[in-house]
Amino acid sequence: MNMILVASLRVIAALGLMLLNGVVLIYMLRKVLGHLHVRLGPMNVGWHGVLQTLNDVLKLLTKEDPTPTNVDKVLYFMAPAIVFVPSLAAYAALPFSKTWAISNLATGLLFTFAIMSLVPLGVLMAGWSSSNKWSLLGGMRAVGQQIAYEVPLLLSALPIVLMVGSLNLNDIVAAQDRVWFFIPQFPALLLFFIAALVELNQTPFDMSEAESELVAGFASEYSAMKFGLLFLSEFSNMFVMAALIVTLFFGGWSLPFVPAEMLTPIGPPVIFMIKTYLIIFCFMWIRGTFPRVRVDQLQQLGWKVLLPANLVWLFVTGLAVKVIEAVAR
Amino acid sequence: MTEDSRLTVDAPDAPLAEGSYVPAALPVGLRRVPSGVDEVSTEHLVVNFGPQHPSTHGVLRMIIEADGEEVVGAEMSIGYLHRGIEKLAEHRRYNALGTLMDRGDYVSGIHGELAVALATEALIEVEVPEKAHWIRSLMSEVNRIASHLVWYGTFGLDAGGMGQFLYAVRDREMLLDILEAVSGSRMMFNYIRPGGVLADLPQGTDRKLLEFLDLFDIHIEEHDQLLGGNEIFQSRVHGVGVIDKETAIAFGLTGANLRASGVGFDVRRDRPYAAYDKLEFSVPMAAEGDCWARYAVRMEEMRQSARMVRQCLEGMPEGDFTAKVPKVLRPPAGEAYAAVESPRGEWGVHVVSDGTESPYRLRYRPPALFALQVVEAIMPGSLIADAIVMAGSVDLVLGEIDR
Amino acid sequence: MHPDVTAITSALRAAGVTSVEVEQTSLGVIVRPQVPELAAVLSALRDGSSVFTFMVDLFGMDTGDAVELTYHLRSLSRDEEIYVRVSVAYDGAFTSVWEAYPAALMPEREIAEMFGLTLQGHPNPKRLLTTDGLDPMLLKRIEIRGAEEVRAR
Repeated sequence: MNMILVASLRVIAALGLMLLNGVVLIYMLRKVLGHLHVRLGPMNVGWHGVLQTLNDVLKLLTKEDPTPTNVDKVLYFMAPAIVFVPSLAAYAALPFSKTWAISNLATGLLFTFAIMSLVPLGVLMAGWSSSNKWSLLGGMRAVGQQIAYEVPLLLSALPIVLMVGSLNLNDIVAAQDRVWFFIPQFPALLLFFIAALVELNQTPFDMSEAESELVAGFASEYSAMKFGLLFLSEFSNMFVMAALIVTLFFGGWSLPFVPAEMLTPIGPPVIFMIKTYLIIFCFMWIRGTFPRVRVDQLQQLGWKVLLPANLVWLFVTGLAVKVIEAVAR
Repeated sequence: MTEDSRLTVDAPDAPLAEGSYVPAALPVGLRRVPSGVDEVSTEHLVVNFGPQHPSTHGVLRMIIEADGEEVVGAEMSIGYLHRGIEKLAEHRRYNALGTLMDRGDYVSGIHGELAVALATEALIEVEVPEKAHWIRSLMSEVNRIASHLVWYGTFGLDAGGMGQFLYAVRDREMLLDILEAVSGSRMMFNYIRPGGVLADLPQGTDRKLLEFLDLFDIHIEEHDQLLGGNEIFQSRVHGVGVIDKETAIAFGLTGANLRASGVGFDVRRDRPYAAYDKLEFSVPMAAEGDCWARYAVRMEEMRQSARMVRQCLEGMPEGDFTAKVPKVLRPPAGEAYAAVESPRGEWGVHVVSDGTESPYRLRYRPPALFALQVVEAIMPGSLIADAIVMAGSVDLVLGEIDR
Repeated sequence: MHPDVTAITSALRAAGVTSVEVEQTSLGVIVRPQVPELAAVLSALRDGSSVFTFMVDLFGMDTGDAVELTYHLRSLSRDEEIYVRVSVAYDGAFTSVWEAYPAALMPEREIAEMFGLTLQGHPNPKRLLTTDGLDPMLLKRIEIRGAEEVRAR
């Protein structure tokens, strides 16, 4: 009984975090893009428009939800859920502090990647079942880029695993007590960042919902809360990916030169959140500035540049680890 | 990117291969690949870009037949903004024709007004005072910068960028304020009338313009860096949508699009009107004919326009701003053709008068219509993403195309 | 800017087009062939020494007797302009010149719908600007109805 209660509480906490994140991130996106674009963003609802997102959520909840006549009903209704659930589950392994994690998995890194790779399945379902040409093209693009970039994404995280010798995210954070991994692993950070942008459908790789080409891509036919779920999962993926970058390369919840004991209990999660939001800010910065690459250029970048570069860097890291071990012995 | 001399039409390094154009070799979009199942058992997808689509610049409808991501056939369907301007013009007095032209190309109204005023003046044979000429040139160039800024912003939008649009609009806003101060309206100016202009420049216009120009000289480099300096953007436009010289001539391309294909015809220089024969400017040209060439030519045109605005402010003569013309113009029977270099190309107005107070027939040549035909012809064989960039690169304004 | 009338006449003669009026007006040099000769005249102008390869514009006009089509041509290398005019009877037919001047593709469609003519030899002879069933609105006999509609309201 107790076990079930704790488990339910954890799920509810993850859900709450995800929803809160969504609301904050949408507001942040608007404000960041606005200021990048020499305008103000939302200003009227609440102080500097802070309540704007709440308003929009309310609108999404109360909106009429029409279903187009020719959709494949089962897939059409399942798709938002299938996109949403992995996004939620991906929170499970994130270490907010040494003890604050929904579940301390031994294979946390692998789990996060695996669960995130389910998202495009839902996107393809949404694109296919909508029986809309834009949706279909968007869904196909999403799957194409997912297949192309899953490999570079994993490969660019492997050097870290080599250095740490563990897939547990908490171990990875703990291994960074002396130096954050972005210093020795800077090439891996760049590769991971690019691959993460593609996985997240972020500009300049927002193929599957390229507004100027495919209207709204796979989400064209969705409205009301079904669209809300797709939208929310996108922001939640952004958070998860940024959190992974923080965990792998920027020391997770730790601060340099400050022992972890001094920060407890509330310090580490706050630090973790701040770092993650800084990474998210970088995503948004890129989104506000860059044009979009073309589909074929995206594939070429993935297979011809990122993959070889990843393999080379993996080899270099492996060699370095072995050499250091030999010297230390 | 080359700047050419005053005489370019016969530039020795760029001989026009006239008459060598072979229609059958061109991928005319109208020759559609039959829809259906081909040997690898894939179906072609016919998608409608527009009339409501985020990147169709108004109400253009592109019917694109796509094989996966590749365009195999394209057809432009227009007319969603058709208002019968040519018919309406037959029921308007000559003074009122400018208002119709404003609503044709709503992004560069001054040029339309100027074209119709020039044609009317050719019929009534009125001597336009010197100052009016200068004001006309000044306003044309101010409007040209404003129009090119819109193109710059939306072209970037087509390529997937977002930031440059709002930066461009920020600058355009200042210009629209100036245009409003001069003419009383932000877009539908009705400022240039047969015989001169509506009113003298208000006090302080030159100060405002100089303030703007000082800013713009910095901002234009910023714009060029923001979009043109971006590696991704460059990879999107280099070698995309190539219109070679023969195709450009055969399809009647004009303006910056024609000059980007290596043909140096500029109405301002080769058929000078207003005060352009007294202004010093160079006509930017490029030989590649791709989207990048069109981008580079237009960016340089903005710099040249800024240069001309300065010259106009310095050289502005004293005197009347309009000739004495009767309230109701009744030109003698006859015909006249007048053309101006609008931001989109040669805007020609052909007026036929029968001696009454309104024209017997008014035809205006929409430069973007001809650009649209070229886009239709070069689109097959490209990717969907490239097709969007192509349509954006030639600067279409649907109000002008549909009339 | 205006080409020499005698030179144009002799050039057309040399190309085998003999019965063509060439006149100098205030607008410019106007060549007036009959409908059957149009293609020959245009190809002579385009391929001859005067190289009028650039079609500036193509438009129609209701003269009261017939529909008059004006082909406005320009030679970029010689910097000259010329107008070719043909008359087409009401409800008549005219042939596309798109193989010589692809620029004419859309203007021709527009003329066909605006003046109620039949377009022949065109790869895509659909209406361009208006929908099916509308009157050929640029004919003088078609009146604009704004005034009556306002009064009737």
